[in-house]
Amino acid sequence: MGGAAPRGEAPRFQRSLVGKESPLADDSASNGASRRRFLKLATCALGGGVGAAVAIPAIRYAITPIGEKTVSAADDPIDALPLEQVKPGAPPLQVTLVAPVQRDGWAAVKNVPLGAAWIRRDTGGTLTALSAVCPHLGCAVGFDGKQYVCPCHDSTFALDGAVQAGPSKRGLDPLPFEVVEGRLRIAWVRYRLGGPDREKA
Amino acid sequence: MSIGSWLEERTGWRSNVGAALDTKIAGGPSFAHVFGAVLGSILVIQAVTGILLAMSYSPSVSAAWASVAYIEDQVALGWFIRGMHLYGSSAMVIVAGLYLLQSAVWGGYKKPRELVWILQVVILGVLMLFPLTGHGLPWDQQGYWATKVELGITASAPGGAYIVQLAQGGNDMGNLTLTRLYAIHALLLPALVLILWLVRRALIRHHGLTPKWNAPDTAVGYFPDQAFRDAIAIALAVAALIAYTVYQGGAPLAAPADSTVPFDARPEWFIRPLFQLRKYAGPLEHLAALGAPVVVGGFLIGLPFVDRSPDRSPRRRPLVMAALALGGVVVLALVGLSFRDDANDEDLAKRVAWSEKRAAQARSLALANGVPPTGGTAVFSTAPHWQARVIWQKACASCHEGDDRKGPLITVGYGSRAWIRGFLTDPSGDAYFGRTKLAKTDKAMKAVEQTGAELDALVEMVYAQSGAKDVDAKKVEIGVGLFDSVCSDCHEREAGKDSDPGPNLFGMGSLAHRASLIANPAAPTMYGAHNEMPAFAADTTESDRAAIATWLAWMQTATARDVEALGEP
Repeated sequence: MGGAAPRGEAPRFQRSLVGKESPLADDSASNGASRRRFLKLATCALGGGVGAAVAIPAIRYAITPIGEKTVSAADDPIDALPLEQVKPGAPPLQVTLVAPVQRDGWAAVKNVPLGAAWIRRDTGGTLTALSAVCPHLGCAVGFDGKQYVCPCHDSTFALDGAVQAGPSKRGLDPLPFEVVEGRLRIAWVRYRLGGPDREKA
Repeated sequence: MSIGSWLEERTGWRSNVGAALDTKIAGGPSFAHVFGAVLGSILVIQAVTGILLAMSYSPSVSAAWASVAYIEDQVALGWFIRGMHLYGSSAMVIVAGLYLLQSAVWGGYKKPRELVWILQVVILGVLMLFPLTGHGLPWDQQGYWATKVELGITASAPGGAYIVQLAQGGNDMGNLTLTRLYAIHALLLPALVLILWLVRRALIRHHGLTPKWNAPDTAVGYFPDQAFRDAIAIALAVAALIAYTVYQGGAPLAAPADSTVPFDARPEWFIRPLFQLRKYAGPLEHLAALGAPVVVGGFLIGLPFVDRSPDRSPRRRPLVMAALALGGVVVLALVGLSFRDDANDEDLAKRVAWSEKRAAQARSLALANGVPPTGGTAVFSTAPHWQARVIWQKACASCHEGDDRKGPLITVGYGSRAWIRGFLTDPSGDAYFGRTKLAKTDKAMKAVEQTGAELDALVEMVYAQSGAKDVDAKKVEIGVGLFDSVCSDCHEREAGKDSDPGPNLFGMGSLAHRASLIANPAAPTMYGAHNEMPAFAADTTESDRAAIATWLAWMQTATARDVEALGEP
């Protein structure tokens, strides 16, 4: 096929391919516009089909992480320290909660620090375990000897975790704990940041 | 005013796109002109899938295999995207090769288009580097060994040692090899192809594409006639690529790279001619592997300067046509021979089957347990009873498995009621203590003469020593009565009591008993003076012995199929 056909006249090869009734085969000049429109539509349709065939799997792949727990550890309480180390009335202690195993994407890593908790027993003996994650925007909260202080935006919290000053809309988040055979075990929980309500993240 | 016109005023897009669509194609529309468009569409697919893979890939020795296994098994359609990327790279080389071949047949290298031609040869070479740098990235056995071999061949070229050090990032393959391969594959080569393509486009703008030698001297706008043909060809090519990817179930992933485990690495199919040539070249293998590409590349680049007549008709260029045909036939024949040799090699098939089983095991462990941060091969250590089985192979198997063993056979069912029954009725049987020195002396244990319910009771009594929960207390009671009359001359059954000549039965078969027996089988409560087994207190840790005891307890109720399912340690 030389392909030298002027617009409106399909080459022989094509005619045998698509048949006499097809607009492709129509070589009368008056039908040039409709033939052109057909080719345009067919080209766009084919292009769209190819694009969709590639784009749909690609998008499905790309959005995989949405709603996926790619980084996760068991929710079980984590052994923190012997209860006797938490003296009633003493300043709060910071402990790091270390997961025995954390799945992180493809990896399974042992002994991964998940986060920190502030532990305190009041003079009455009541135990509190507070997440050291500031409920405002997630910075690590410290203790200045009297109160908990977030270094990022200066929220301060009382010993029981209640907000005293600053932008945080709620107090420090308590962590569930249990005492087994004299040892304090704390579950690591992440809460949604920012809002006044405490919801699991 | 419509948005289109607003944009037109500011960008001139309508006139630009219009002008581009109306680019005159010399010789008019033809299916012979689709190669460039098809190649372009495949390159786009390679870019899209490559970017997606990069989102989940980690180029380090410890994480590469794990991240690719993650893509394969845990990212939605990961297998498909990776398959498209792998087979797309082959499609890219095929289409670029055909495009070049067409150009050669049509005399596209002739004056004044010599540089266009050379550029196309160079682009094909660069495209071939994509698979070559890409296949090492998963850091699986296939990629690792194929890269190792290719670097080995490169090293034998003049100055090759430096190229190898540059490519692998130092003296040996490791983390720096992966980061460099990755940077070359995903950043350098795409940039290079883009630049070369832009230069070629500039030259094409100047010269126009080469029409067929006998095409009429007309030029027709690109749109819609040529565009329609391009769209059909692209749709067919992409459909074929998708179909092939689905048919293959995506790209293969071998077991994690392990420099101690041999693997029948094979190069890319388009390197197979060299692979096969190497076999015939004998001691000249390096010369063949390095020389052949130089000869082919030299021929292609030299072609415009050899065949300088302006005549583009293939019929009047028989020498060039013959050379092209001969080259094509030789290359295809070598590829075919190489695959045929592999297909006819039964030993290879066995090794491949073994490797594939190992790969499948690694994949399923990675999916179930994740991969330890020490690296891909560590995934095997997440298999059940791994620690015990490794020690078993090293320290125990030679005496307790196989035909050359010296001790009792330890396999599935060991320590079960059936095993105890067999042992009591034939203690010096081949599967029991028959291979020991003791068995050949008159000190060997005599077979128990009890039968029926009495034997049942003795079996239950011995079985109960392990602390098993599923014992029949009544039978045990009868068994204990029998013990005092039948066994107590040689055995004790009170905790901690020295026992001679036979071992104290207390706790026998329990985890603690097995662990301490492994540590010191010659203890006075164990085999004492009659012991023939080495003590492993020094060579194993407490955790090792506990692991083996747990493994043996598992074996007690396991079947041969369960053991098979664990795979090799």
